[in-house]
Amino acid sequence: MPSGMHKFPIKGFIETSFLDWKGELSSVIFFAGCNFRCPFCHNSDLVLRWDTLSDVHLEYIILTLRKYKQWVNKVVVTGGEPTIHMGLYNVLGYLKREDIQVKLDTNGSSPSVLRGLVAEGLVDYIAMDVKGPLERYDTWCGTKVDIKKIEESIRFIMEGNVDYEFRMTVVPSLHREEDVYQVAEYLRASDKFFLQEFKPRQCIDRSFLNVQPFPKDVFERMDKNVQQIRVTGIKPEERIIKFREKILKPDRADSK
Amino acid sequence: METTDLNLFVRTSEETISDWDRSKIADALIRETLIDQDTADQISEETELMIRRSGVRVVTAPLIRELVNAKLIERGLEGARKMHTRLGMPVFDVDSLILHPNKENANVPHGPEATNLTLAERIKKEYALLCVFSEDVADAHMNGDIHLHDLGFIDRPYCSGQSLEYIKKFGLDLPHSLSMAKPAKHPEVLLAHLVKFAAALQSNFAGAIGWDAVNIFFAPYLEGLSDDEMKQFAQMLIFEFSQQAVARGGQAIFSDINLYWEVPKHFENVSAIGPGGQFTGKKYGDYEKESQRFAWKLFEVYKEGDGAGRPFFFPKPLVHITEKFFRTEGHMDFLNHIADVSADKGNTYYVFDRGETAKISECCRLSFKLEKSDLRDAMEPWRMRYCALQNVSLNLPRIAYTAQHDDTKLMDLITQRFLLATKAHKEKRAFLEKLLAHGEDGPLALLTMNRDGMPYLRFDRAAHLIGMVGLNEMVQIHTGEEMHESKQALKFGLKIMAHMKLLTDKIQRQEGFKIVLEQTPAESTSYRFARLDLHYFSPSSGRVVKGDIASGEVYYTNSTHLNVGYPMNPIERVTNEGIFHPLIEAGSISHVWLGESHPYKQALADFVIKTFRHTTNDQIAFSPEFTTCNKCHRTSRGLDDICSYCGSSDVDGITRITGYFTKVSSWNKGKLGELKDRHRVGEYFNEQQKVANG
Repeated sequence: MPSGMHKFPIKGFIETSFLDWKGELSSVIFFAGCNFRCPFCHNSDLVLRWDTLSDVHLEYIILTLRKYKQWVNKVVVTGGEPTIHMGLYNVLGYLKREDIQVKLDTNGSSPSVLRGLVAEGLVDYIAMDVKGPLERYDTWCGTKVDIKKIEESIRFIMEGNVDYEFRMTVVPSLHREEDVYQVAEYLRASDKFFLQEFKPRQCIDRSFLNVQPFPKDVFERMDKNVQQIRVTGIKPEERIIKFREKILKPDRADSK
Repeated sequence: METTDLNLFVRTSEETISDWDRSKIADALIRETLIDQDTADQISEETELMIRRSGVRVVTAPLIRELVNAKLIERGLEGARKMHTRLGMPVFDVDSLILHPNKENANVPHGPEATNLTLAERIKKEYALLCVFSEDVADAHMNGDIHLHDLGFIDRPYCSGQSLEYIKKFGLDLPHSLSMAKPAKHPEVLLAHLVKFAAALQSNFAGAIGWDAVNIFFAPYLEGLSDDEMKQFAQMLIFEFSQQAVARGGQAIFSDINLYWEVPKHFENVSAIGPGGQFTGKKYGDYEKESQRFAWKLFEVYKEGDGAGRPFFFPKPLVHITEKFFRTEGHMDFLNHIADVSADKGNTYYVFDRGETAKISECCRLSFKLEKSDLRDAMEPWRMRYCALQNVSLNLPRIAYTAQHDDTKLMDLITQRFLLATKAHKEKRAFLEKLLAHGEDGPLALLTMNRDGMPYLRFDRAAHLIGMVGLNEMVQIHTGEEMHESKQALKFGLKIMAHMKLLTDKIQRQEGFKIVLEQTPAESTSYRFARLDLHYFSPSSGRVVKGDIASGEVYYTNSTHLNVGYPMNPIERVTNEGIFHPLIEAGSISHVWLGESHPYKQALADFVIKTFRHTTNDQIAFSPEFTTCNKCHRTSRGLDDICSYCGSSDVDGITRITGYFTKVSSWNKGKLGELKDRHRVGEYFNEQQKVANG
């Protein structure tokens, strides 16, 4: 381990997880801080009060990963929002040097960082949270969001060679059922799109602690409808054309 | 004074009212004890005088007996009093028993049958402590140095492992039964025989009834079944076992089914028995496809759960993972399939048979490695019937309080308790031998039936279990650190277990019967020991027992497990708990508590493979938690106060208590304390929060 390694705002580390990387055992690294303030976020400490959490040193993480090498060789990097930290390049670089596969969880607010990481071969899987229909993104995220950046990330992820998934946390009182279908429709051309259940735990906006999750059957119905939207309807080729033309309206200057 | 002078009626135990007859007292004393006639007469006179003075008109036989006992004590005739004593229960206790559920064993429901069971158990328990065991053994049990399990079932062996081949070959021909059935010709009939025989066995054993290689032994009956029929048959098997809560004490039969994806080596070349109890001319190795299809369908049923989507509590499916498993085609699909059940319902147990050992698992975690003689049995698999006569657990923390940090004293005390447990085994063994000696006319007729040249219960093969509770706390008291806190502490724990293993080997040779270590499930024992130690070893015990002292929800960590509440990486847990497993012959388990989180099946499958490859762990299971609604009859993940479907608060929590799933509402206080502490995988920030909030 090189001496004088930077300090990174890593505030959490799970050595073994069964549920953060589909189909694989993984470890999870939590970066503190976020540029969004989604009211329903369940990691409020990590976003708002991360100075009260103790640091997990990268040295410790690397050594632990080495120790469990024969068990786990995948790491999920999540947050907060990892892409707001320049140190992310370094951290992923160290992980790669250990021959570890990386899944990055992101809100898609920094497409340029995503591009950079992918160009360097530092990520093997990208999971992006789509918070709701793009028109009212500020509402979902509790802050002003540059929609262009979100669109750009979505397009970049879908057109790239790195495996990916999109997911949306469905929050009663915030999302209408229709919003969910709108996002599903919007992301129909994507490889994977999942719904996640909201849990009233440690929310950033404390009033959301009193929000009951959707009743189970409602959630199951939405999930089914979303899958329905994804498989039926227009043919895949048309879908992509429609997607590009009507929804994304690609920014020419940015096309590769 | 003449007895007739006394105008007094006696309510006898034969439901009659008799006139007072003093001579009956003396007669009973002479019949039941060893005192002389003169003393007996004197006592009867004194007793009569006492009753006369009291002026009562009606007196009960039990009261007279206790008055007589008082007279025996006055004379210092303690031995005679013991022989003359009466077993029974106070009205208050019977009253509350009939009204309130039994919390000692969560597998006992509440109802008249259950009450009968509990009442009978109470009396047999007292009888056992008074008449079967010597005073030092009984006292050690009462004060919590050791725990004699299932005392209420003193007249039965503890648990057993069975072979379907026996009923396939001999039909259902039980001693004193009303009808005799020849070997089954159809799979449904064989299933009916199996379930009935299991119920009969439940009435003759205290604990679990395990069945070996069920999918393989059923296979010759399942040739030609369509997929739908196979599924239907799998459903029948699981529902039949899981709904058998109508037998003994209204309890479900605590049953395990052992399953294999491959045909294990020891059964490959064994002649298969098929319909009508006839050899089919093929070997079990030839039935791989049928047995695989059946195993697959069984897990489809487990995946669906019962009518309300709840996990099935019984029968517990134990899947053996062997080297051959990994060489057998389709094993990854099957592993993902059963891991899917783990993730969804939690039923699957993964039993690791590494190297050349073959094992049969019996109950929560009790399994036997098949020895050479057993492997010879395997050629005639109906002979493969195993049992353990009794289980005695040692209170390890208690020893540590007493040893006062002195290593030598600690080890010596372990030895002493171990010898005491051995003595208890000898006494139970002698008692059972006496019962079995009556043969098919005796109380254990079923176990003595002889259809293949030997009694059904092979007494000479029986094992005797010695369990342990709270190794973690023992190490904590002695060294100041719990086993997860340092390598030294873990090592010290290992040293203790190695000492116990050495003792089993030595004493086994000395006594000439089989003694093995077992991880006691200790559903109520860990609570009982903690409670008793709080009483006898306060204040030091107050710093050691786990759980919440204020609410009385206290417990010791089970067997050789590590602290359940410490947020430990599951890799660390299965690895570090696994180092004890090779020392514990009768089987062990590590739990991975999942809580409400829903893991990916492939991740679990991957974890299972790596546990097999990289640890010495014997068995693992993943335990999710559920909330089932009594209103809308639907089941959701996690333990909640209200139903996440309909919002009703009439819900039950369901999760694994020790080795089986059950409703949380039936748990004893100690287990409730443990449930609150359990660290579930993926609770990282909740744990940090807990630490931060102190």
